[in-house]
Amino acid sequence: MKDIVSVDHLRVEFATDGGPVVGVEDVSFTIAPGETLCVVGESGSGKSVTSLSLMRLVEFGGGTITAGRLNFERADGTMLDVAAAPAQVMGAVRGHEIGMIFQEPMTALNPVFTIERQLTDGLILHKGLTQEAASARALELLQSVRIPEPERRLKQYPHELSGGMRQRVVIAMAMACDPKLLIADEPTTALDVTIQAEILALINRLKRENGMAVLFITHDMAVVAQMADRVVVMYRGRIVETGTVNQIFENPKEDYTKALLAAVPKLGEMKGKPAPEKMRLIGDEAARAAAAPVKARVPEVLLQVKNLTTRFPVKGGILRRTVAQVHAVEDVSFTLNVGETLALVGESGCGKSSCGRSILRLIEPTSGEVWIGGRDIGALNRADLRRARADMQMVFQDPFASLNPYRRLKDQVAEPIQNFGLATGAALEALVLQLFDRVRLPRDFMNRYPHELSGGQRQRVAIARALAVNPKLIVADEAVSALDVSVQAQVLNLMMELQEDLGLSYLFISHDMAVVERVAHHVGVMYLGRIVEIGPRSAVFDSPRHPYTQSLLSAVPIADPRQRRFAEDLAFKPITSPIFPLGHQPAPSTYTEVTPGHFVLSL
Amino acid sequence: MTYVLNRLLSVILTLFMITLVTFAVTNILPGDVAMMIMGTQSNPEALAGLRQSLGLNDPILVQYARWVGGLVSGDWGNSLIFKKPILELLSQKIVASAVLVVMSMCIALALAIPLGVWAAVHRDKWQDTVSSSSALLGVSLPDFFWGIVMILVFARWLGWFPSSGFVEPSVDFWGTLQHAFLPALALGLGLMAHLTRMTRSTMTGILSQEFIRVARAKGLTERTVIWRYALANAIGPVITIAGLQIGYLFGSIIVMESLFGYTGMGWLTYQALLNRDLPLIQDTVFVIAAVVMLTNLAVDLLYVVIDPRIRLG
Repeated sequence: MKDIVSVDHLRVEFATDGGPVVGVEDVSFTIAPGETLCVVGESGSGKSVTSLSLMRLVEFGGGTITAGRLNFERADGTMLDVAAAPAQVMGAVRGHEIGMIFQEPMTALNPVFTIERQLTDGLILHKGLTQEAASARALELLQSVRIPEPERRLKQYPHELSGGMRQRVVIAMAMACDPKLLIADEPTTALDVTIQAEILALINRLKRENGMAVLFITHDMAVVAQMADRVVVMYRGRIVETGTVNQIFENPKEDYTKALLAAVPKLGEMKGKPAPEKMRLIGDEAARAAAAPVKARVPEVLLQVKNLTTRFPVKGGILRRTVAQVHAVEDVSFTLNVGETLALVGESGCGKSSCGRSILRLIEPTSGEVWIGGRDIGALNRADLRRARADMQMVFQDPFASLNPYRRLKDQVAEPIQNFGLATGAALEALVLQLFDRVRLPRDFMNRYPHELSGGQRQRVAIARALAVNPKLIVADEAVSALDVSVQAQVLNLMMELQEDLGLSYLFISHDMAVVERVAHHVGVMYLGRIVEIGPRSAVFDSPRHPYTQSLLSAVPIADPRQRRFAEDLAFKPITSPIFPLGHQPAPSTYTEVTPGHFVLSL
Repeated sequence: MTYVLNRLLSVILTLFMITLVTFAVTNILPGDVAMMIMGTQSNPEALAGLRQSLGLNDPILVQYARWVGGLVSGDWGNSLIFKKPILELLSQKIVASAVLVVMSMCIALALAIPLGVWAAVHRDKWQDTVSSSSALLGVSLPDFFWGIVMILVFARWLGWFPSSGFVEPSVDFWGTLQHAFLPALALGLGLMAHLTRMTRSTMTGILSQEFIRVARAKGLTERTVIWRYALANAIGPVITIAGLQIGYLFGSIIVMESLFGYTGMGWLTYQALLNRDLPLIQDTVFVIAAVVMLTNLAVDLLYVVIDPRIRLG
């Protein structure tokens, strides 16, 4: 069959103050009708530039197609070179013959127009429909993307819809004119894992029903394994390898592909393994990573949390009184041993971050006890709490936002040491030097500023800073979520290595089940502020008992094309609101111990 | 609805605070009304008698209550220089000023929005430089300078508009507009700079948002994308700034109305200040504060119409 798209030696340049910079170079691939082609790569690989070029949207971001052909077979069977097409022709192709969906459903819809208006304007423009006919078609589209109560949604504004619903609307918009090609640029990256599963299944069904081709852009190898027919691997603006999904996953030719695949944790691969294992790395770090699994210690409790509850007031009315409460953390109890990792997992809004912050008293818990090393954190006064913070440090998700852009890195790492008066002068210098060595950053980075570093390097600085005061506990709140997969693997290995050497305990807050399976000794699954299931990692992952844990695990994409899970429509139970009226006193959490140490919230 | 109610209550609270401040300030000023009426050379006994009859010897709270009570019941006292009831005087002049203020704001918005959008669309290109420097030119020269330029060019040389005076709208509405145009244009040029910058920065932010890319990906024309999708989102912040500028405008009209002999609130305020007409000053300040407050309330309510996200709050 004739290819619907054939990209031939595409080159895109971006104008910058320092002259043109090449975005992508020598990119060639084809897409057959009804085929899903996944373009995968880490940040800066040029995958989005490629997809935007195919829509000629790249020029709105300052890019110019300087070479190559982008042939697209139009609805009438003629071939169009998108790279050379005049603006009016592109206007007729965009949204009509090629539909596109983007990463951020929260900002992809115009906040001041109704859903109906945004669904119909393309139909009126491209299909020449009347307002009534377009509205009828809009309703049909909302039904086909399985939005609950579609009639009501038409009259609503974007802010009245959840993220998952908004992404469905965006897909409906892209599908409005029955395009022959759908471009999906990281369509599920900003979504929770259950919503991601639903959206992936939806794209699969629409593709099957409409016979369209899909160009799927993603950084996530697990999503590639689930979605792709064929795969293009990109790195720094060039294509590294092209092949069918089975070829790429089972018999990769290029070293980069191999390294990329090695760094991806695969859900289920830890089955039967007693302790966390370092991530696989290929190349320089391979030898270090190959070291023995993190060894078990004699259990000794470091952190004990008892009935921790944190509620945030919802203010309202003229006098800004509290009218309701967000039950962010609800009756949470657990223990964390010295030298071990407890992972708190759950979807956005489940209270996992609030729980971590409440433990450090970065936000004040409403009730409950937190004991660290035999000390009741909740009972400390300000001065004692300040001193106690030396024992408990935090690493945040965004390493750029958590470092001061105006200060040298060595000063930022030295800051906590100075704050606690642990060392001065030459001793301080030596300590900072040691910390840079410890997190394996070159010493000449000490005089640099955060913007001169990559994301992974910045996160190493953040870890060095947390380590500076010799903490016993580190709360890592999505600490590797913003990093590319190979960098993520390196930082995770560094964290595990530090745990081994220094006996650190981690409270590892994450939404990524596959990473958690790799690094955690114990896992707590949170839902609506409560821990619904907690226990040894193997027990929770291998025999999940709570229905929420089960659905969460069933929604995780597996980085193995032979274990596909999203063929049929999926509908997970939406998460209910954690906002309750004042005085609402929920029942205490009671647990059943199903196997030793494995507790499940009683329903 | 709760939102509207909340805003109304806060307006009433602010108005109450305005009466307190106005009353306090005019009472701290040296001299009193009796002295103003009788002159400094007057007989002390007659002065004391007048003080007594004006109630100036009453406790300060009683005087305040009497003033506020008057404001509410419509008895606003008499102007010392014009020898007329203040309420009558103010209600006449406020119409004149309203015409001027509305007209200058319309001129400012009509210039600023296209200029700001143009600059945002061609960000960091020559159009951007042209836009921001012309906006800057408007604000960096004081508005009375523009007033003088207007008089010279449009009244003296071209003779298109009258150089001074005011006609009652009930007599000749077209004449009112003609008299208001030059001072309004001069004021509008001063207002424009801020609004242009606001439009530019808001539009720049919005044009980089995902929903703009989505709109382009739908194949909509650039005109629709910019003038409908983007501007509908930018208009709210711009109007908010415009509302805040109403306060600034009431400061500017004092100079501008006097320059053009345009007998509105600004001119009246100037006369009251010049002649130390304390009751008139007190009431005028209150009215200006109230007008600024209410305009901002109107803007906030308009915002509810523009931005559906406010409705729930």
